[in-house]
Amino acid sequence: MSSRAFDKGLARCFSCGKLCQLSVQQHQASCCPRCDSPVSFRQSASLSYSWALTLAALALLVPANMLPILTVVSFGQGDPDTIMSGVIKLWEAELQAIAAVVFIASVAVPVAKLVVMLLLMLVVQLKLPLSKEQCTLLYRFIHFIGRWSMLDLFMISILVTVVHMGNIANVESGPAALAFGAVVVLTMLAADYFDPRLLWDLEHE
Amino acid sequence: MTDSLSPHRESLLACPDCDLLLRVDAVPLDRECHCPRCDALVQDGGHYAIDLHLAAAFSGLVLFVPAVTAPVLRFTMVGQWGSNSLLGGVWHLWTQGEQILSLLVLLCSVVAPFFHLLLSFGIALTLRLSRLPNNFPAWLKWHRHMQGWSMLEVYTLGIIVAYVKMLDDGDVFVGSGTYCVAGVLLCLIICNQCFREDVAWRQWEQRK
Ligand SMILES: [Zn+2]
Ligand SMILES: [Zn+2]
Repeated sequence: MSSRAFDKGLARCFSCGKLCQLSVQQHQASCCPRCDSPVSFRQSASLSYSWALTLAALALLVPANMLPILTVVSFGQGDPDTIMSGVIKLWEAELQAIAAVVFIASVAVPVAKLVVMLLLMLVVQLKLPLSKEQCTLLYRFIHFIGRWSMLDLFMISILVTVVHMGNIANVESGPAALAFGAVVVLTMLAADYFDPRLLWDLEHE
Repeated sequence: MTDSLSPHRESLLACPDCDLLLRVDAVPLDRECHCPRCDALVQDGGHYAIDLHLAAAFSGLVLFVPAVTAPVLRFTMVGQWGSNSLLGGVWHLWTQGEQILSLLVLLCSVVAPFFHLLLSFGIALTLRLSRLPNNFPAWLKWHRHMQGWSMLEVYTLGIIVAYVKMLDDGDVFVGSGTYCVAGVLLCLIICNQCFREDVAWRQWEQRK
């Protein structure tokens, strides 16, 4: 059986990647000789933080999708759009490619991230016998795609500034924008806190 | 056995994703190396093109001020027009009462890319001159944090989406800011491609 660094009392420094000798009892309080960061075998309280952040993001996903995110007022008329109704409008305006991009960034990515985070945490928590290779691939995938959810917020910041013409046309952000921003940040932090080595530790039990 | 496992020798590495202990003394320092169990990148490959890194970081910094202040998009509709810049968008959100959102956009589109470039420049320059400052580890750590939050590539996609969205309602012009943003983005990509964090850490360790 292949051996872990943990079994030899070696911990990889989170900041610089150096292997540091730690005794198994001494989980923290030791510092990396190269960069002086605290070193521990695993990200401390990884699961608790990931659960808290993921559940908070899950709760905020509801207002982010139900409340209006953007209101386009043109000649005094206009109705507020939620994320999904904005995508549908783009699709109906024959802008299918843009509708797909916005849908992926604002709907598919946040939902996929939350589903994958819940799955990974359940695998570790309940010791589910899933393929560790595939779980690790999912973990890398959500790490990679997470940032693209910011697309909607950047677009809002551009639109509200450019289309700001008194009573002719105006774009205003809605309350969902803040909730959506919180979902993006919380899911990014949740993925950062999750330690994928906890998945592989199951193979050694 | 215990002697050969001493962490002071760079003969061992641990996989960051699965903690597998890998013996790498036979692997040259410039050869890319993946974990046999989970395929994580354990050691970056290639040679650290330090001059290119330095040049890209410098060019990015030069382009940075016009990139965040020059107009990105300009929109005209029945005689009225409006335009935006990266900083203008942040400021507008702030005055609209979306302070938290505006700080988030500021962090991801202005602050993090700027410090990413500045730290890249500092790291490459001090490595080039072999005069590492005492807080060099802090530079490397902050460099990595800033890399994670710098989302100029996402912002660029946001510009494209906003552009197409507005085409229907009026005339949209691409401002000079967009070209500067694209330039800064290119510099950031080159910086990320060139930089070898492990080389920087090894240099720091050897200097000590
Ligand atoms: Zn370290
Ligand atoms: Zn691995």
